[in-house]
Amino acid sequence: MPVKTVANIEAFNDAPEDYRTAVRKIVRSHAVNELYGAQVFDEPAIALAPTPYAKWLTCRVAMEEYGHHVRFRELGRQIGLSEEEMTPKGRRPLSIFEFPLQTWEEFCVIKLLADLAEIIQVEDLNHCSFQPLRNLARVTMPEEKFHAQFGKDFCTELCRTEAGRTKVQDAIDRYFPMMPPFFGRSDSANSALFRKWGIKQHSNDDMRADFMARARAVVEDHLHLKLPEVREAA
Amino acid sequence: MSGLADSISEFLDEIARAAWFASCGEDLSESEIADARLLAAAMGFPAVALAPVPDWRAAAAAAQSPDWSRVWWEREGKAEAALKAELARRFGAAPMLEELSRVMLAAAALNGAAALALARANVADEALARVAAGAAAQACHQAALAHAAGAGPAHGFAAKFRLFGGGRWPLGVVGDRLFVF
Repeated sequence: MPVKTVANIEAFNDAPEDYRTAVRKIVRSHAVNELYGAQVFDEPAIALAPTPYAKWLTCRVAMEEYGHHVRFRELGRQIGLSEEEMTPKGRRPLSIFEFPLQTWEEFCVIKLLADLAEIIQVEDLNHCSFQPLRNLARVTMPEEKFHAQFGKDFCTELCRTEAGRTKVQDAIDRYFPMMPPFFGRSDSANSALFRKWGIKQHSNDDMRADFMARARAVVEDHLHLKLPEVREAA
Repeated sequence: MSGLADSISEFLDEIARAAWFASCGEDLSESEIADARLLAAAMGFPAVALAPVPDWRAAAAAAQSPDWSRVWWEREGKAEAALKAELARRFGAAPMLEELSRVMLAAAALNGAAALALARANVADEALARVAAGAAAQACHQAALAHAAGAGPAHGFAAKFRLFGGGRWPLGVVGDRLFVF
């Protein structure tokens, strides 16, 4: 049976507690991770960028990532999350956020692959039963796609030299293995709950498989580099 | 409202009133030349020649030139850091960052102005619009710091913001010239 759309905050407040809890988990996760990403990767990358063009573009990308945090935080506030719950303070970060950014090549690879993972997560929300979250996902999507394209364009440019190819491959080897776990455990109870309520459409494993296929296409078919072997199930 | 919040609110009005990217490519006026020279002198390049930039493609090329001045960027960075330290000392680091985030949110809207200016020039380049918007946002951040610190109109960041506010894009020193679009 198709899940009924929850059209607005008023309808959300009348929805079952399980549904509200599930939506809050997703909104909180996006609010925290968008802010983490902007602080740990995008802002420091401005100093590493090789030209004024790349510095200003990175500055803009950092602002957009921060803007995503602001949008999710605003929705979170409307559905009853506190400000503290939507900031990284006191929360265990995704493992990727614990590796401080050191080179421009690393940043380009993170945009190429971590933002691809984010695109797949946001795509899944494009048909979310909670309409305000669906709308937010649709507004966010063009910027996320641009960020992944940014990574693809700069990685393509870097790979024009042998030294650049080596550095990009090295960054892929170190960062890519941390990415498949972004999608959560195969037997995740949360994932089952999200799908039961039509908040998300695909299982963690389906999204992870989609990510692996799209990452392989861009790394191996486009850049002609190698994607390291990783365990796909989590 | 604190003195810092008042000052930032005043500055947000300036952002809203500015003619973002509206004069790019046109001849520089005398006051714009004076502001460009003031900016150059503030960054330690008092004798640098001005190079007007005719169009968006030339602006993109200048911003990607391998001859861009690292010294210019370092000096801007140092001036920013000095202003931030001064404001943090006077108002506290957390309130300062909170007020600066208001500037950043206001500057987020400048991508639309850049995209419009590119469309008027018949240039389809989503990345270049974002580059221009990023440069404008950086100028807003720097000028907000100078404004909140009470630095006055002769400060280099105030001159840079006036150039942006009048519809220009100062691209910085490349080789031995200051490029202004």
